[in-house]
Amino acid sequence: MKPIHIEINGRAISAEVEPRQHLADFMREELLLTGTHLGCEHGVCGACTVLIDGAPARSCIAYPVALDGAKITTIEGLADDPVAARLREAFTREHGLQCGFCTPGMMMMARDIVLRRPGLDEGAIRHELAGNLCRCTGYVGIVRAIKSVAAERMGEAPVVTRGSEVAPPVYASPLALPVAPSRVAAEAAPAAPAGAQAPGAAPFVAEPLRNPVEIVEEFDVAAPRASVWELFQDPARVIACLPGARLTEPSDGRSVVAEMTVKLGPIQAAFGGTGVIAADPANWSGTIDGRGVDSRSATRVQARLNYALTETGAGAATRVRVEVAYVLQGPLAQMSRGAIARDLAARMTAAFAANLNAAIKGEAAPAEAAPLDAGSLLLAMVKGWLARLFGRG
Amino acid sequence: MKAARFDYERPADLAGALAALGQGGAKPLSGGQSLGPMLNLRLARPPLLVDVGRLAPLRQVEEGAEGTLFGAGITHAEFEDGAVPDPTPGFLARIARGIAYRAVRNRGTMGGSLAHADPAADWPTTLAALGARVHLAGPSGTRELPVEDFILGAFETALQDGEIVTGIFVPRCSAGARFGYRKSCRKVGEFAEAMCAVLADPARGVHRLVIGATEARQIVIADAAAATSDPATLDDALRAAGLAADPASLRLRQAVIRQAVAALEDESLSA
Repeated sequence: MKPIHIEINGRAISAEVEPRQHLADFMREELLLTGTHLGCEHGVCGACTVLIDGAPARSCIAYPVALDGAKITTIEGLADDPVAARLREAFTREHGLQCGFCTPGMMMMARDIVLRRPGLDEGAIRHELAGNLCRCTGYVGIVRAIKSVAAERMGEAPVVTRGSEVAPPVYASPLALPVAPSRVAAEAAPAAPAGAQAPGAAPFVAEPLRNPVEIVEEFDVAAPRASVWELFQDPARVIACLPGARLTEPSDGRSVVAEMTVKLGPIQAAFGGTGVIAADPANWSGTIDGRGVDSRSATRVQARLNYALTETGAGAATRVRVEVAYVLQGPLAQMSRGAIARDLAARMTAAFAANLNAAIKGEAAPAEAAPLDAGSLLLAMVKGWLARLFGRG
Repeated sequence: MKAARFDYERPADLAGALAALGQGGAKPLSGGQSLGPMLNLRLARPPLLVDVGRLAPLRQVEEGAEGTLFGAGITHAEFEDGAVPDPTPGFLARIARGIAYRAVRNRGTMGGSLAHADPAADWPTTLAALGARVHLAGPSGTRELPVEDFILGAFETALQDGEIVTGIFVPRCSAGARFGYRKSCRKVGEFAEAMCAVLADPARGVHRLVIGATEARQIVIADAAAATSDPATLDDALRAAGLAADPASLRLRQAVIRQAVAALEDESLSA
């Protein structure tokens, strides 16, 4: 095993690699970046083409051990690339793919062709594309797609892609981020690319949730509304009430960077993510929007938490209404779909309420919020279901 | 397919590389575009790869009045893009453009191609026609060889144990020099089945013709003035090299030679 430092899609990776492992295997198996496809594995078919220091190369005959210090861009890393965007549209329009196996390599090569030789004709495109094999389309749609983008670029100065910088995506799609591989020794902070923000620093824009799971929980806290409000304005204390969650960076009060561990049988998910906090003091309410990704399974979660405080008991107590909506996508969502996910989230919300109550009362400090064990939750759920079934509740 | 297990070293300087290569069975690695497939197919199973591709002397270019010394680690793409000076009127870029595919040219190197000595490769034939000299460094010092003396056969070179190609000296052509080059491949970027390179530089009195893709040592005609005026005179050379057994293959080779000679007059080389 040899230590290497390599940058993939703008993210610095430190890893121990076996010299014989090729780059495509390293990215697919260790980093779960499966956008790069493997066909022949000896440099002929072009399916595994990626950009090494800006220039296309075969990742099946490049070895990470020899790429120490190199910057790699995979198909996932071209999400925001303007030329790749034009090519994606053109491939769609011209039917430039059928089964899609060759497409990542085709896109890599197509981008390089139109950058290096803007305005080139069909014969030259076919010549340049000779190293990428497609077994379905007959190339006609692919060539047409590249030709249309090349024609758009007619008159532009040719770009030398060798040694060029490829800006990583501004929005770090969880699938564009290599997840922590088993053998990664230590990971350096992502280097901020010139002219673009680092993925972690991307401005968070809350998107509407599609078909979310929604949970509403109401509970009373025996404290005046002002002190409950105060707690809600302190992200560190709010996060501490979430089972298994903690802040990974000090919060500025407007945004949070946090992680949350959830156990589901043998699966242990560790969601890391960012969120923004918005408060509406006039109405004693607020919103926390966030999204995260599980570093092991690449499961994505997007969530919104609304809270509203009303006075009860003549101002001595506060009723807290919490509405949680979330969407899970990825492997874990398939594992924990339907009622189980809803119940899990409901249990989490309930635990949050209990912890919050305790925190405000200053009782059991919820600082040691243990990871919520979905296994035991599941057992509790089954027990609850059996109890209800047999009317022994 | 996955390569068999090997160890990897990247020494900081040439002396360190030569020392590392002194270990039994070690193989130098440069761009890895020929060695990589062989490793993956497990055709090559070296216990140790010594990465020489980033050594400073192998990435240098020295221009002189007589010609240019290219570091062995200059890539095909760097020749293609004109990123390095060319002592010929554009011949090197033209040949580089026709090597394999761009994704391969971005990493493959001129020195690696020579050391690999595939008979169907473009550089051995081209550089022999240009009268280039190979610079070698090994445990017993440095030496130089003309390309035709360096390439001994298919995948066989004059490299001794622990010796590597450090550079290639390409003599300067006069401005009026012409170069004819043709190869026949079943598909663009595939290995050639027939290949011929011709240099005509009357101002220097140089007429050279090289027949490549011979599945053995290339055929070098150092005084090719007569051959270029009548390519049929080369049939004896083809026959002597055992390339006349298959009539179809012989006709292909003869056609490629005629086209390469004809291309001396017509510079619009397609590939």
